[in-house]
Amino acid sequence: MSPQQPHPLLFRLAQGLLATGLALGSARAAELNLWVMSTTEQQQADMRELLKPHLAANPALRVNVTVLNWESAWAKVTAAAASGQGPDVIELGSTWVPAVSSMGALESIGAQQQRELGGAQAFMPVMWSTTHRHDDPKIYAVPWYADARAAFYRTDVFKKAGVDPRDAFANWGSFKQAMQKINGTEIAGKKIAALGYPGKNDWNVVHNMAPWIWSAGGDFLSADRKRSALNATEAVQAIVYYTSFAAEGLVPRGALEKDSGQIESGFFNGQYAVIFTGPWILKQMATPKAKGGQLETLAASNFAIAPYPAGLKGNATLLSGSSLAIMKSSKHKAEAWKLLSYLTGREAQLRYSQMSSMLPTRLDAMDDPQLKRDPHVAQFLALAKNGRHYPSVAGWGPLESVYLKNLGSMFDMVGGVRGKYSPLAVKQAMDAAALEADQVLNAAQ
Amino acid sequence: MPRAAAPRLPRRRPDPFPYLLLLPALLLMAAVNLTPILQGFYMSLLKLNQFTLAQYLDAPFVGLDNYRRVLFDGASPLRAGLGLALRNTLLYTAVVSLSAIAIGLGMALLMNRDFPGRNLARTLLLLPWIVPSYVVGSLWGFMWQRDVGIINTVLVDWLHLLDERPFWLIGANSFWAIVIPTVWRTWPVLMLIFLAALQSIPEDPYEAATLDGVSRWQQFLHITLPLLKPVILIQLMFQIIDNIYSYNLVSMMFGNGAGYPGEWADLLMPLLTRQSFSYWLFGQGAAVSFVMMALMLVFVGLWLRAFRQQMSDTPHA
Repeated sequence: MSPQQPHPLLFRLAQGLLATGLALGSARAAELNLWVMSTTEQQQADMRELLKPHLAANPALRVNVTVLNWESAWAKVTAAAASGQGPDVIELGSTWVPAVSSMGALESIGAQQQRELGGAQAFMPVMWSTTHRHDDPKIYAVPWYADARAAFYRTDVFKKAGVDPRDAFANWGSFKQAMQKINGTEIAGKKIAALGYPGKNDWNVVHNMAPWIWSAGGDFLSADRKRSALNATEAVQAIVYYTSFAAEGLVPRGALEKDSGQIESGFFNGQYAVIFTGPWILKQMATPKAKGGQLETLAASNFAIAPYPAGLKGNATLLSGSSLAIMKSSKHKAEAWKLLSYLTGREAQLRYSQMSSMLPTRLDAMDDPQLKRDPHVAQFLALAKNGRHYPSVAGWGPLESVYLKNLGSMFDMVGGVRGKYSPLAVKQAMDAAALEADQVLNAAQ
Repeated sequence: MPRAAAPRLPRRRPDPFPYLLLLPALLLMAAVNLTPILQGFYMSLLKLNQFTLAQYLDAPFVGLDNYRRVLFDGASPLRAGLGLALRNTLLYTAVVSLSAIAIGLGMALLMNRDFPGRNLARTLLLLPWIVPSYVVGSLWGFMWQRDVGIINTVLVDWLHLLDERPFWLIGANSFWAIVIPTVWRTWPVLMLIFLAALQSIPEDPYEAATLDGVSRWQQFLHITLPLLKPVILIQLMFQIIDNIYSYNLVSMMFGNGAGYPGEWADLLMPLLTRQSFSYWLFGQGAAVSFVMMALMLVFVGLWLRAFRQQMSDTPHA
């Protein structure tokens, strides 16, 4: 039996349907999925606002924004990377890019695309260094926003205690003396503790210690990035110095079971004269209490910002932040690239900086006069120049977990509930931490 | 007189119909339970880490190497702190299981008496059990806080039992910070089970014992306890399994930061989950899960062998 010829009418009908389908398909809105972290108070609404100009310029585009919490984001990001079922554009913490790219989940950003953005020289060098692994020249993400860390201190407390902040934050010796002098100063009938920092129940333990370790000349990995350097003399000196504030009662013992958010609340409530944190609390201190801010607090009207006091090798701060990347699984890579380049462009970075108090990563945005009009933001922009970041290795994630656990455990010792705190005990604990870190590095080979 | 041999009934062929009815459920159970177990076992034979995770089941096959690493290689990062977690888990299991059973039994005996408002009291006492374990972890995490937690407020400020506010969430006290909420949440359901068992015990032996002048305590020891033994034994086995696999409470109470509760509150399951996921050693993590499952099977087998007779007796036997 010969194959049946299609009926001419049916053939025409099919042709017509196909043509209509193709026409509809080309006019149909491209739909992109974008995953971002919860960085502002109203991330979803802020993203809608931020995307408005791009959507107006691309009426056929739809962007579905999913907001992830920082705490649970890592598990979701790795699941998306492993399964290939992720969004088109994804925000990645600056320490995550090497790991996720090593899983083969990210589309590399080509030379032409980089040129469109102005190339590496258009961005803060430290932030650009986080967009690729040290052993892989391919770029996998574009820096979106940055944050540096600095001291927030109570000007009224310093004044009452007779301490000049310029001397206090000059170096490690003068900082310790200033904290001793300030500790217990009474403000509005309430004694204030000199310094507040969290103990082990916090994500920021490593980030909190990093500037001190770098300022002492220490680091987290050896120069060849193959071994841990946490037990090197300089790093141990920094850890001893940092933990000594709690051991000497300059940080209240109760702070040691708190997390960073609770320590920041303690600063707003007048519990601590100094805390080290990032620019994100500026927004809180400029927002009225009725809108969930801290504007009316004594801290909000009596604070200033200072850099970390200098150690033997100068003063460094941790410069971290987020980048945007395109996932390999994206079916709309051209649209995804347009969205990514819009969000990492000058205007969007400036707008997002106003929304979140984070810093832009583009140098032309950092130079914006309007941004610098806020003296606190201007200070952070200046501090960012001394910023450093962790080694850009694929295995940083597991390594940070080891460091988080072991550095966090120091606070049990400082709190007097585990062994006796001494520089020797800290050194021994860091030897054990370095050994565990080396085992994790070896296991990842 | 010799007994007449009973007529042998013709052997009936088993009716396939009930088995056919069971088949969909069996297939579903196999799909839901067996597939992940087999997949997990296969994962334990693979080099599954951050670099190979995207390949998933196509990751390099390494045979029993993951088992060798977790059992015999002291340098395996997965084993860091395993000894302490094992010690804590055994102590935690013993203290929680025995305390929860003792309190549950004691409260069941009280609730078995007649008093006004008994039904309301039973309902109220069940409340801790209704609270999900992750909520229990979060709530008690707040309550144990040194400066603002209600526990130190009661112990130090109200009752003046302690001079100084102790830490509960760091140091050796953290062991009690996980034991007490677990017991608090567990005993009500045991009370309910023991109460049901108590109510199935007939009155006759107690009436006879009372007539013979046997004291209430002797009645408890020689009548109640032996008759409850099968229920107690099976509940003890369930408690041991539950507590060895305990995860939620520790994870919720110490989930921030590295999720490391310190050397006194780290249990086996939180440790294995934390280390296999944060160090991205998924193959080794799967291997250690199978080692634990095998050990648990041996334990349950030995338990059943030792107590099979007692556990098959009913309380009113």
